Amino acid sequence: MKLDIMEALRYLGAGSSPPEVLRRDMEQIADQLTAAVRPRYAYRVFSTVHEERGVLLREAGILLTGRSAARMLAQCDQAVLLICTLGAGFETMLRAEQARDMARAVMLDACGSAWVESGCNAAEEELAARFPGRYLTDRFSPGYGDLPLALQPAICAALDAGRRVGVQVTDSFLMNPSKSVTAVIGLSDRPQQARIRGCAYCSMRETCTLRKGGKSCAL
Amino acid sequence: MHSDFLKNDILILDGAMGTVLQQRGLPPGGQPELLNLTEPELLDSVYQEYADAGSQVVYANTFGANGLKLQRTGHSVDEIVTAAVTIAKQAVAGLGVRVALDMGPLGELLEPMGSLPFERAYELFREMAVAGEKAGADLVAIETMTDLYEAKAALLAVKENTDLPVLVTMSFDETGRTFTGCTVASMARTLEGLGADAVGLNCSLGPDKLAPLLAELCRNTRLPVVAKPNAGLPDPVDGHYDMGPEAFVEALLPCLDAGVTIFGGCCGTSPEYIRRLAQALNGKKPVPRTYDAVSFVCSPVTPCRVDGVRVIGERINPTGKKRFQQALLENDLDYILDVGVQQEDAGADILDVNVGFPGVNEVEMLPRVVKKLQSTISLPLQLDSSNPDALEAGLRVYNGKAAVNSVNGEPEVLDRILPIIKKYGASVVGLTLDKNGIPQTAEGRVAIARRILDAALSYGIPREDLWIDCLTLTVSAQQDQAVETLKAVETVHRELGLQTVLGVSNISFGLPNRPLITQNFLIQAMHAGLTLPIINPNQKEMLDAVAAFRVLSGEDRECRTYVARFTGEPALVQAAPAAGNLTLDDAIIRGLKAEAGKLAKAALETEDELSLVEGHLIPALDRVGEGYEQGKVFLPQLLSAAQAAQSVFEVIRVSIAQKGGAPVKKGRLVIATVKGDIHDIGKNIVKTVLENYGYEVLDLGRDVSPETILKAVQEQDIRLVGLSALMTTTLPAMEETIRLLQTLPEPPITFVGGAVVTPEYARQMGADYYAKDARQSVEIARKVFG
Repeated sequence: MKLDIMEALRYLGAGSSPPEVLRRDMEQIADQLTAAVRPRYAYRVFSTVHEERGVLLREAGILLTGRSAARMLAQCDQAVLLICTLGAGFETMLRAEQARDMARAVMLDACGSAWVESGCNAAEEELAARFPGRYLTDRFSPGYGDLPLALQPAICAALDAGRRVGVQVTDSFLMNPSKSVTAVIGLSDRPQQARIRGCAYCSMRETCTLRKGGKSCAL
Repeated sequence: MHSDFLKNDILILDGAMGTVLQQRGLPPGGQPELLNLTEPELLDSVYQEYADAGSQVVYANTFGANGLKLQRTGHSVDEIVTAAVTIAKQAVAGLGVRVALDMGPLGELLEPMGSLPFERAYELFREMAVAGEKAGADLVAIETMTDLYEAKAALLAVKENTDLPVLVTMSFDETGRTFTGCTVASMARTLEGLGADAVGLNCSLGPDKLAPLLAELCRNTRLPVVAKPNAGLPDPVDGHYDMGPEAFVEALLPCLDAGVTIFGGCCGTSPEYIRRLAQALNGKKPVPRTYDAVSFVCSPVTPCRVDGVRVIGERINPTGKKRFQQALLENDLDYILDVGVQQEDAGADILDVNVGFPGVNEVEMLPRVVKKLQSTISLPLQLDSSNPDALEAGLRVYNGKAAVNSVNGEPEVLDRILPIIKKYGASVVGLTLDKNGIPQTAEGRVAIARRILDAALSYGIPREDLWIDCLTLTVSAQQDQAVETLKAVETVHRELGLQTVLGVSNISFGLPNRPLITQNFLIQAMHAGLTLPIINPNQKEMLDAVAAFRVLSGEDRECRTYVARFTGEPALVQAAPAAGNLTLDDAIIRGLKAEAGKLAKAALETEDELSLVEGHLIPALDRVGEGYEQGKVFLPQLLSAAQAAQSVFEVIRVSIAQKGGAPVKKGRLVIATVKGDIHDIGKNIVKTVLENYGYEVLDLGRDVSPETILKAVQEQDIRLVGLSALMTTTLPAMEETIRLLQTLPEPPITFVGGAVVTPEYARQMGADYYAKDARQSVEIARKVFG
């Protein structure tokens, strides 16, 4: 598992031409983070039922509503629910860094975002190896596209996220610890073309400062 | 004794409830506690099958039957718990099987990770425990805990409100820690101290992976140890666990030899697993084991074994420190935290915490400071007070096994404080003095130490939890006493076998070159047997001496720590300061904290505080801010500059505190992350920047209700309020807060920000300003305060 420094720099808006000092500091903080905290993940495979109302994950009884899920999972007979988290260890580290040095804390926060994505990538690689001959869709998450954030509690419950990775969902659908990601990945016998990536599908499109400046985070 | 059945023989618990119910049709994610009302026969059959298989204790189906998880079901805790316990009691009636009230995690994280206060968690567990005892439960099983703090709340709730025996099991991963980072030793010694009847591990892994952790647990407790592992790991496709009954039992049996006496199964196990387990354990006897009786304090993540010299940091103490006193009187807990962080970074092992000062209510302040420190600092704390109520309040909210400073040889003091020490399982410092003062001879002090030891033992406090302070007297005033102190340390250490504490710095009071005397005394005292010096860890000479001592005593194996200390790590982060003529403005702009502080001190010789702020600090910050707006400077650099400004402010504060004048403050505002939102780094960034422009920021924290914000505005007469929200789901709370503030006769001005907030939203919800970033919040503050 490797933390992508350029990705972390992009989260700080310094993706294109980061000052040398900033890049060095980020590398050092990333090293500290990756030595102290490992992303933890859990996933489970469900069979899909394509209904008028959306895509039903049968064994969990979860209905994925919206166009994004329908389009992404159109050719999938199974879908994986994934959760990945940096856990409470990262939160403690971030709190301590905020008390020490706020500048380093925002760098750590950005590294944390990149690190949890690395964890998701590792889980995806594990999935691909576990199901040879099957094709994976891009992963997509509640809150992106039109997949409702309100699915978060059901997804976490179906994954037994509290017991297995220590993640709880609050009443306002926030995950705690906060550096946590849930995602849906479709499984199919055919190569997958549909893509979720890009500003068009992002729930941040109206407020994103990068986009206002004519740039993108390239996710 | 009501808990004898846990101690005397092998005891067999039940297996899983949740996964068995899933096999019988409950969908994953369903709420199994409701089955107590809808499917009593199903539950009855599970209990009976476990009893038939050989379980001597069955867990009632109450794992998640707490007030939080039930709040939307329309059913009360009492109703569900009573139903569950009644079904279980009936199912096993006449079989000699006991029924445990099962208490799992509440489903919401406690502070500081989540927003559930410790006291509220206690109430939720109390409600369950009382209902369980009333319904006839024979014992309580607190299980699957990953947060030691939550386990403590549950354990206290059971102990203080019922007469039931209680076993506590927590879930660990392969690294030997829980999800919140708690170690096996911290868990075992904290929970034993708090009066658990048995401790153990459940869930998360199979018996093969839990075995080494169980062995470690057995070395760290005198209590019976419970093993209730999963049947291996779940298959991601069908959810089945990968270990069959035979393999499960085979992997679990070696734990008997490690000293485990209470066995059962968790997720993926079934009555068949328990049947095999009971057969395999039939006729087996508990295997005797050795307990490692070491002096020990801890936070969840940092166990501190006192098997060598451990440094207690002395700086969290107002005595003789004007700036600290000011912070206490102003409720500036961030300052106190900063003092703690510096000592942690300097290499302290334990932090002494003293907040006693005229005008400060210690009973309220000590628990607040404890909570603040443990939210960020991972070191164990030593609570330092002469007020028993303050000590109890602090120990109650402490997460881990704390130390207390102090008791002395006075019977009234011992009888008042030792019961509190026993109840919370703390370690305690005994001062060798009594109503006649400090004995002038070593023998006199040792005699008092013996008296304190006898008293501690009579209260059931183990001797390793008593630390003796033979008292340092100032050598320039009472020169003969230094030798007496050292003699007393040696005797207490060698003859009584107790750990010794000394406030070392006192020795050199009134002499020139104090560090030299202090360091020499420290070295001699460590040689005499001092293990717990209370010193200023920021003084390099002191920690150098400790580092050298650890080499010579053989504790620092291969001199590794010593070598690392003196060969030095590569310098961190900040660019090197330019040689020579660095100006204050440059130091701030380049984020050079230490240099900015030094240059500010020098500048104060020729300029006053206000002109330092107006003439240097703010123009420098503005230049960085402009660069940030133009995209030439990035957020970390903006914050570095702000922090360099902070060190200038700190110099100004000290200078003003010394003169006794009023602090420089340009206006007071409230900021908060709104109700439901737990992300607060954005709000903290705004706070850092505003404070370093000289504004006084009253930070109400995260997940703050509209009512709390209203109250703060009313009480403190606030003119400006900043609100932050990160998620679309919490925008309504922001709007509600603004609406509530507008009901005031003179509403404050509001500004809003956060990832999902737009100028459009801001207008719609009636905010006066939208702040795109921290920099804009400064512009808004300027407009409001002029």
